[in-house]
Amino acid sequence: MSTQKIQLKRLWPIGISNLLAAFALVAFLFPYLFMVASAFKNQLDAVAYPPAFFFKPTLENFTQVFGDINILFYLKNSTIVATFSTLLTIIIAIPATYALARYRFPFKEPIAYGFLLLQMVPGISVVFALFNIARMINLYDTYLFLVLVYLLWNVPYAVWMLRGFVESIPVDLEEAAMVDGASRFGAFFRVTLPLMVGGLAASSILIFIGAWNEFALAFFLTSTNARTMPTTIAFFMTHAGIKWGPMFATAAIGTLPVVIFALLVNRYFVSALTLGAVKG
Amino acid sequence: MVRFWQRHRNLIIPYSLLLPAFLVVFMLAIYTCVWLVRMSLVDWAFGSQWSKALPAGLSNYVWLLTNAGTPLWKSLQVTGIYVLGTVFMELVLGFGLALLLNGKVFGRSFYTALLTIPIVVMPAMVGMIWRLYFSYDGLVNFLIQILTHLKLDWYGPNLALPAVMIVDVWEWTPFFILILLAGLQSLPHDPYEAALVDGANNLQLFHYITLPLMAPLLITATILRLMDSLRIFDVIFVMFGGGPGSVTLTLPVLVYRITLVARNAGRGSAASVMLIILIVSLTILLIRLFKKARFEA
Repeated sequence: MSTQKIQLKRLWPIGISNLLAAFALVAFLFPYLFMVASAFKNQLDAVAYPPAFFFKPTLENFTQVFGDINILFYLKNSTIVATFSTLLTIIIAIPATYALARYRFPFKEPIAYGFLLLQMVPGISVVFALFNIARMINLYDTYLFLVLVYLLWNVPYAVWMLRGFVESIPVDLEEAAMVDGASRFGAFFRVTLPLMVGGLAASSILIFIGAWNEFALAFFLTSTNARTMPTTIAFFMTHAGIKWGPMFATAAIGTLPVVIFALLVNRYFVSALTLGAVKG
Repeated sequence: MVRFWQRHRNLIIPYSLLLPAFLVVFMLAIYTCVWLVRMSLVDWAFGSQWSKALPAGLSNYVWLLTNAGTPLWKSLQVTGIYVLGTVFMELVLGFGLALLLNGKVFGRSFYTALLTIPIVVMPAMVGMIWRLYFSYDGLVNFLIQILTHLKLDWYGPNLALPAVMIVDVWEWTPFFILILLAGLQSLPHDPYEAALVDGANNLQLFHYITLPLMAPLLITATILRLMDSLRIFDVIFVMFGGGPGSVTLTLPVLVYRITLVARNAGRGSAASVMLIILIVSLTILLIRLFKKARFEA
């Protein structure tokens, strides 16, 4: 066999697998890219058949969305709710995680499993009970209540994810610091917490994105004041049909920050997914 | 006081560290559960005054469980098909693509970066855009027409469930790809080298080394997705709202439909309680099975 033939034989499978991989990537990206492109179509092009791949781009959807619907208000709400629920989650989860990872005490495992099971409860199954509670304590349609409600899922999630992470940090490091005269809490702040940063970043990213995207709870627990981005889809379903142009523009505005964010912190994002899987 | 502290510090410290989580999470969770159970024991139209709720005993549960025309059984069926079908397809497709990307593929980090997109796009918007893509004059039918000269009725009773399942597969196959690819990349080299020395072929390498080493990760990723898939509400709600009829009526959508469409919060809450019991017991069961499998292996 000539060397040329051997090389060809080696190159064929590589070529095919690259082609297949590229094809799969296009399949997963195209629906999203088509959505972003459709944000720049007029109403006719948006629903045209065959679908308009080439069209005259227009900004009319964006002027409508920023003007009539005042989408900045909902962006602001989403930012407030997602930021505060992430921050509060981390603040509450750190000590709880540390207790579960480092101490031995009665009911430790039942408590850990309690967290896990809580996180499994579907939002829609409790949202109407939460609605009644919100009405009763006059917190319906407020940031505070939505943030509190998100903590119900986020704190257990963070604890469950971070526990394994803390357990994998050797206790010896803390003990060494304590030998050097640091208190247990000093040792935690100076040794363990800095080592937790990777895990904290990873879980914060997932929690933030989860809160930003959450639909069922936000949809039924807010109406005008605390309404978040995902729930704005209701604005585009009119009696005359769905206003696809503004709908696509809103989808682009609502998803682009998260997509860009996820691409920037990609390393953490993937490790966060794995962290959850390894522990789960 | 000092003696009390000294004797019990090993209890006091961990419990006080857990206190904030307890106060916020467990208190609100318990209070919510109490409300949910209370709501499931009354006859009450959602939206009317709570004082108008009439005691109903267990009749809501009885109605759900015994009435043959009840949507619960149909919904359980739909949920089973949806959950098992989507997770199976995602697992197979995701593992296949992870293996592919683990081979000689150029720009792997480019792939892992871009494949996060379907996972992070808000599901409500995902539902909306696919609703248009699946319409009779939509993107999906356009591609199918090019290939087969046919146009399918995705909004109809036969294809609505496959349509929402395809969306789920689009959203979550990348989750399997990313997790499994990370797992494949961290596999040790030694077993492969040893087996290659012994003259093993690719299929044998996969069957005797890759698969057993990947098994725990494959199982955990599958369990995570199973539990998550069981809770999906937004995409299905936005796309078809459980319809046409009840062909896409998964359990979470059923809860919504009974509570808000039929305006019967009592029955809706009873359905919620049953959904929670189902999910909690499934979770416990799966964890037990998994631990046992790991222990025996």
